[in-house]
Amino acid sequence: MSLTTHSGSSTSPRSADSESLGAAFARRRSQHPLIFFVARRLVALVFLCLGVTFMAFVLTHLVPADVAAANLGVHQGSNPVAVRLYNERYGLDKPLPVQYEVYLAHLLHGDLGVSEQSGRPVGDDLAAAIPATAELAITSMILALPIGITLGVVAALRRNRLTDQVLRVLSLAGMSTPQFWLALVALYFFFYLLGWVPGSGRLDAAYPAPPHVTGLFTIDSLLAGQLDIFANAVHHLVLPAAVLAAFNIGLFTRFTRSAVLEVLKNDYVRTARAKGLPEWIIIPRHVLRAAGPPVLTIVGLAFGNVMTGTVLVENIFSWPGIGQYSYASATTLDLPSIVGVMLFFAIVYIVLNLSVDILHGVIDPRLQVT
Amino acid sequence: MSAAGRLVGLGVRGFRRTPVAWQNPLAVVGIAVAGAWLLVALFAPVIAPHDPLAPTAALYQAPSWAHPFGTDDVGRDVLSRVLWGARVSIPLALLLVGLAYTIGCTLGGLAGYLGGWVDELIMRGADLFFAVPQILLAMAVVGALGPGLFHAVLAVVVVSWPGPARVVRGLVRTTMQSDFVAVARLVGAPTSRALTVEVLPNVAGPVTVLAALDMGNAILLLSALSFLGLGARPPDAEWGSMVSTGAQHFESWWMGMFPGLAIVSVVLAFNLIGDSLRDTFDPTTTVTPLGK
Amino acid sequence: MTGLLSVRNLRVWLDRSDGPLTIVDGISFDVAAGHVFGLAGESGSGKTITALALLGLLPEGANVEGTAKLDGHDLLAMPPAQRRRTRGRVIGMVFQDPMSSLHPMLTIELQLTEHIRYQLGFSKKDARRRAIELLTEVRIPDPEAALRGYPHQFSGGMRQRIQIAMGLACEPKLLVADEPTTALDVTVQAGILRLLRRLCLEKNLAVILITHDLGVLSALADTITVMYAGRVVEFGPTEEVIAQSRHPYTRGLLDSLPHPEAADRPLVPIAGEPAGPDSRPAGCAFHPRCRYAIDTCRVEAPLLIEVNPSHAMACPVDPLVASRP
Repeated sequence: MSLTTHSGSSTSPRSADSESLGAAFARRRSQHPLIFFVARRLVALVFLCLGVTFMAFVLTHLVPADVAAANLGVHQGSNPVAVRLYNERYGLDKPLPVQYEVYLAHLLHGDLGVSEQSGRPVGDDLAAAIPATAELAITSMILALPIGITLGVVAALRRNRLTDQVLRVLSLAGMSTPQFWLALVALYFFFYLLGWVPGSGRLDAAYPAPPHVTGLFTIDSLLAGQLDIFANAVHHLVLPAAVLAAFNIGLFTRFTRSAVLEVLKNDYVRTARAKGLPEWIIIPRHVLRAAGPPVLTIVGLAFGNVMTGTVLVENIFSWPGIGQYSYASATTLDLPSIVGVMLFFAIVYIVLNLSVDILHGVIDPRLQVT
Repeated sequence: MSAAGRLVGLGVRGFRRTPVAWQNPLAVVGIAVAGAWLLVALFAPVIAPHDPLAPTAALYQAPSWAHPFGTDDVGRDVLSRVLWGARVSIPLALLLVGLAYTIGCTLGGLAGYLGGWVDELIMRGADLFFAVPQILLAMAVVGALGPGLFHAVLAVVVVSWPGPARVVRGLVRTTMQSDFVAVARLVGAPTSRALTVEVLPNVAGPVTVLAALDMGNAILLLSALSFLGLGARPPDAEWGSMVSTGAQHFESWWMGMFPGLAIVSVVLAFNLIGDSLRDTFDPTTTVTPLGK
Repeated sequence: MTGLLSVRNLRVWLDRSDGPLTIVDGISFDVAAGHVFGLAGESGSGKTITALALLGLLPEGANVEGTAKLDGHDLLAMPPAQRRRTRGRVIGMVFQDPMSSLHPMLTIELQLTEHIRYQLGFSKKDARRRAIELLTEVRIPDPEAALRGYPHQFSGGMRQRIQIAMGLACEPKLLVADEPTTALDVTVQAGILRLLRRLCLEKNLAVILITHDLGVLSALADTITVMYAGRVVEFGPTEEVIAQSRHPYTRGLLDSLPHPEAADRPLVPIAGEPAGPDSRPAGCAFHPRCRYAIDTCRVEAPLLIEVNPSHAMACPVDPLVASRP
């Protein structure tokens, strides 16, 4: 995606000589293209975050919902005094623009506000939930990428044969299965009937969480040398991660297939064959290398799928991550939490796209900025 | 293109060993399944063997000849509820995709056609929606409006328009810059004519493909909201909320299994259609599906 | 001259629902070591497919028949694995467009050494040394630096030199060059042609040079074989084919070239479109475009007639004798 190009004039010193600001900017830019590229994206990030907070405010105020009633419960919600006190306390009695202004002022100081459901700062809530979701999301990507890419290559090489058609149906089925249903089916078989995996949570109750370093239990337990905790964490992780991976395996298979077919048309593949190289060298080295950029592009999209999936899967597997947190926030109209979660996702999105673009440059020498 | 390249290109069309029957049977399957569900949606009151809503004494019955999909926690026939569920999901998905595409195509067309600050405003707005997972936005909207099927549909429309908008904008821009539009203008054809004759046909094809693929996504998102209790709610015969009820009765696996299979079959049918359309339209281009 | 490659009755066709589609229609020729064998013809004449058939790189679904003996071994009868090993090792290939034929994302070093290492089992270090040797041989300045580069960093002529180096890396006996200069500037062309000539002599290499440009062949080839619509219409030593061409098609090709000694003579293009594989007329495929065509040409496909022991052509009308109608 292309984000707004905001002029970075603030970073460009106004020189005393006759050189214009624009020329100075252009000169700087040609000296440090990568820095400028990243800087431009970071400026875009700030604007996007601003936009997201604004959007969240507008969306959640589409209808003047009775936040106080939602949070105070039936009993207190009918008590006018309690409602008024609640509204005053959270500034809800003021007009929306004022509320937004107040929120932005706090945000500038790194204050995301206080969650109405947990009564704790939203920042703390997020810090607690993010590692759980990160562990789940990363594991599911680690599962989905190699499987999807392999299947996509196989489908492309067997184009229009039976194998390709079977893989087409399977990959589309992966993208057509509701994640909440797949999670339940998986639980039914592997937890309820077979008892192979635990049904919920990140660790058995008998195990303490490993000492906090990254917040990812698998990594922290390894760092602490607690192999039993590591094994237990993996045991808990496998099923939800696999369920989350299903959609993306389908997505990667479809995209890898078309990317590989596209590459196979190129003359340089014929050149590689003319050199007498076997397919087991040609496919990974010549074909997959060239198919890398288009496949990489959809990794960003795939992370979006994982994030959508976490909302459903975390609720089903009682996984204490962002997905569960955002569900709770949305249903209780916990505005500070909703905006905080959206900000988090927007930042992940931008950083991910930025990394994808930088990786493009690493993979493809034609794009190198130096 | 080299002589060899041309011949290889000829080869792709000319000497495929695979029987032609393999090329599109899946699209046929997709159309057949989607068509069958449309019929079910139309005729559910006639073909459903039992009342989808009225409780009976036959609780938690496993699938049998009397109740092929079993009965649920209040004794309703799951098959009848699944059939009636088509009346909820399919028309709503059509409505929703229609609305989202009307909004999206209009905004995207305006952005691509007018350019300038209108383009900036609309597309930067669309960027915001891409940055946040659809379901999260939809949950926030339903949270604000209050749970309910109608609100869930609105929420999905609100979060779905940026996809088609971005695609249409891109298509309009490339078509506008193409030589044949320049030629049309040169010979004095009015702009509106250039739009309808040159731009529209170039946009309609890809948008159809995307809409077919998005039908599946719309059904998935809507059922997910119902599953979370934000859309349709019990006792409505809606697939997502039926799965949700089934989740509380693992020993009666049929309660959640069959509505889920219904979702899979409808969505897969639309995806098969969209996928084949994509291949037919242009086997070389890759259209990004819009689901997030 | 000693034959290195001997092709007999090579036929390539595709199975279509409406019957076989012949692309190369039973051609025969011999290629000698240390000689440049020129294969000429317009696009669609089957010359590139002939080359791909020799390499075993025909597109999927193409059928091939006949024999192609290289050093006595029939390439077309080899099992696939052995066939693959002849590619690059015994037969080197240079393709038309050096930009698209080189992998844009791999270093020159990798592309130049990977088959040396795979085919000849060289160590990484030895293969690198060999690559520097090759780049020096094809006159690439600063080979060490060139190895670290990527194709897009080189000019068209340099890229073609790199491709030639790749083709020669495993010291093949035969180098097939398909339109190696077509994508290049005229000034660069001459350098590439001189390079091919020199390599051919120095290494006793047999070269099949495929081109539509008889001008290129007249400068470089020892013998010329002219193809039209999948058949050989004339072959012979270069001087004879150029100076005393006997087939109307060869003459047509020559007349459409600018002539160095008669610069003011108008260029005469051959009328009509070349006959593609799916639009070949009966009889002599060239007859609709031929100004000498007589009635038999429309029904009977002409056989090759010997002009002298080294020169033959397939036309019942001798344009040197026949007058214009």
